[in-house]
Amino acid sequence: MTIERVISDQARLTPNKVALIDGDATVTYQQLWQEIELSAAWFRAHASPGDRVLLAASNCLAFVYAYFGSHLAGMICVPVDPETNENRLNRIIHIARPALIVGEFRHGAGHNALPVKNCEPPGCDALSHPDENQVADLMFTTGTTGLPKGVMLTYANEMAAANNINSFIGNTGHDVEMLALPVAHSFGLGRLRCVLAMGATMVLIPSFASMKKFFGTIERHQVTGFAMVPASWNYIGKMSGDRIGHFAKQLKYIEIGSAFMSLEQKMKLMELLPNTRICMHYGLTEASRSAFISFHDDKEHLTTVGRPSPNTAIAVFNDQGDSLGSNQDGEICVKGNHVCAGYWGVPHDVFRHDFNNDYFRTGDWGHIDEDGYVCLVSRVKEIINVGGKKVSPLEVEEHLNAIDGIMEAACVGVRDELLGEVVKAFCVCARNVDFEHVRKQLSHEIENYKIPVYFESVHQLPKTPNGKLQRLLLKG
Amino acid sequence: MNTLEKVIGIVAETCEVDPSEVCGDSSVGVFPTWDSMGHLSIINNVEEAFGISFEPEEMMELEDVNDIVRAVEEKLAE
Repeated sequence: MTIERVISDQARLTPNKVALIDGDATVTYQQLWQEIELSAAWFRAHASPGDRVLLAASNCLAFVYAYFGSHLAGMICVPVDPETNENRLNRIIHIARPALIVGEFRHGAGHNALPVKNCEPPGCDALSHPDENQVADLMFTTGTTGLPKGVMLTYANEMAAANNINSFIGNTGHDVEMLALPVAHSFGLGRLRCVLAMGATMVLIPSFASMKKFFGTIERHQVTGFAMVPASWNYIGKMSGDRIGHFAKQLKYIEIGSAFMSLEQKMKLMELLPNTRICMHYGLTEASRSAFISFHDDKEHLTTVGRPSPNTAIAVFNDQGDSLGSNQDGEICVKGNHVCAGYWGVPHDVFRHDFNNDYFRTGDWGHIDEDGYVCLVSRVKEIINVGGKKVSPLEVEEHLNAIDGIMEAACVGVRDELLGEVVKAFCVCARNVDFEHVRKQLSHEIENYKIPVYFESVHQLPKTPNGKLQRLLLKG
Repeated sequence: MNTLEKVIGIVAETCEVDPSEVCGDSSVGVFPTWDSMGHLSIINNVEEAFGISFEPEEMMELEDVNDIVRAVEEKLAE
């Protein structure tokens, strides 16, 4: 089974059920499927099955049609944030080698991007549903090596993940979910798939930025659930106080993404929404939502990331690849049908190095306690999580190292009350460097949230004997 | 410099756009940098620049430059 097939079944069985709402536009399942078919025909006219399609992913109907349309046309979709900087965009294009670039990219200089549009079916071959073992999407990670990696998700991976998530949260076809998270990221896109896989209704809004729109949408469409990252909750709390509590009876569920959230923030949310199923996941692009915690049900374990998701196994291994018992720290590893099929362009035997037996190595360090709850001790992968957006320290360092006067830089995440983490840069400088000026320079090269909030000038950076940077030692 | 000009300057600097691109109707989301993080920065910078502090109920009403100017002037008149 694939999510595309579920949508087409819904279109046949409940054609008038509302699938999507975007502003004043309401789209039924029947209309959604028609748009997907039109979009698929357009893709077939411009590319061939198996081709990669780079798609600007915005929270709008056109993206949803093009995303599923490219799948139905047999192509591999590469959803990318339209705000992606030129350097990263070029790297993604270099790896994915897309046959088509579709949608508007802010920094798409030099690339021939086609507008997102549908056309009448140009008499192409009859469209057939993709096989579930085919690759559906390449989701590009931030990458610990600095180079983004194209995570290959098959239709079966995505269906398995959606089923696991819907099963844990308890979603039904009656749900009306609001999506304010960006669909360009695997969390937001995953929510879209979950909702459509249940035959429920998704209301698209651009972001959390407008609290009037956020609460207005909840009220107007009788929204029963939404997804957010801890930084969204900080923002909602700061901008609207306790107002979310007015919807305590209406909101059936909230899914929260994996990032640091203080116990105090969790308790506050629980107090305001005493009957809402508040679920927080632990996962990564390669193994979406591998563990879940339900705040109210697991209130004695709020400092953990929860227990394995349905149909998922989690084990902890040491460096030698031996499975460890409870409370012993090691690398957290995950097994399940949701685990990705590989990395684009990386030979399968090389990808298998990321496994201990059949368990995918997450790169996260921790243990499983005696009650079966997974406790994260640290992120071995030194990715910085700025309000849910992942920042590779290497990407920022690359830009810093190119600045005159900076000999070498290393970036780490430091705790931030509002965003969870922000970037701090340690720089070895040849002379006095004006870091305000550095910030301004970076603002032309990388996204705002990647720009270091803190700078520190140091004489040298900690390194291993073979010269590898030891960033974690800088976290203090 | 009047309140409108000062707020436009803050929005432009925070969103890294030219002040000529900002007007009274410019609202949250109009620039990619005026997202939730940008919006919070704008409000923090406005609070700092005018020596005022908004309550959450007041912040919810701040959607565009005109809203901010109105709220600042009301605060300053208190």
